[in-house]
Amino acid sequence: MSYNAPPPPPSGPVGQTPPPNNLVWAILTTLFCCLPLGVVSIVYAAQVNGKFAAGDLAGAQESSRKAKQWAIWSAVVGVVVILIYIAVIIIAASSGTSTSTTSL
Amino acid sequence: MTQRPAPAGEIRRRGALSFAAVTVAGLAATAVVATVSPEESGHYPTCPFLAVTGLYCPGCGSLRTVHALAQGDVATAWDRNPLAVLLLPLVLVAWAAWGLRLLGRRAWHPSRVPARWIWALLVVVLAYWVARNVPGWTWLSPS
Repeated sequence: MSYNAPPPPPSGPVGQTPPPNNLVWAILTTLFCCLPLGVVSIVYAAQVNGKFAAGDLAGAQESSRKAKQWAIWSAVVGVVVILIYIAVIIIAASSGTSTSTTSL
Repeated sequence: MTQRPAPAGEIRRRGALSFAAVTVAGLAATAVVATVSPEESGHYPTCPFLAVTGLYCPGCGSLRTVHALAQGDVATAWDRNPLAVLLLPLVLVAWAAWGLRLLGRRAWHPSRVPARWIWALLVVVLAYWVARNVPGWTWLSPS
């Protein structure tokens, strides 16, 4: 997601805008990415504005980067799991063994 | 930030492309979940967290929630994952506000959410995670 116009903050370093907190990606990966890695993303999203308001621009940028990174990792792991699942089904089908997929 | 600043037109074009890509991907994913029912086993993989631990995570039941919402069945959606029902409107508002900003309007931005609200969200998510797994407390669990 691009954040080309972050809003001016009520506080923080003069003349700077807060880095994106990537909160929406954190919520989406928490809800939809199988592994609860997205929760870590929420932690970093929460750190962004707090550090920025305290004048710690570098820290805020680092938290912003990590929030994004954890959301991406969560999404990648989710996609990999789905691909492995599809591969297992194809292998099971081609080898002729009728394995039950119930409760999978 | 080590990226060199791009011209305004380039930034706008990139933003519009990202918005279009996210919109198409979101609609496609919703269409798949609406059509291929997650209520039937075998259609989608089990969450690895559930498969390994036997516990529900905060996202458990979210595909069934999206499926039910796509059918207009809010009651079933709520039964499967109430947190998802509460958070999805926020995602839609953020998406709409993103589109409005690309059109040059002033609109709300998720980075404007105060830090203490996000910490509160974290507490809610963690409490929800535990509460859905309390035996006998089925109203938060996806079943």
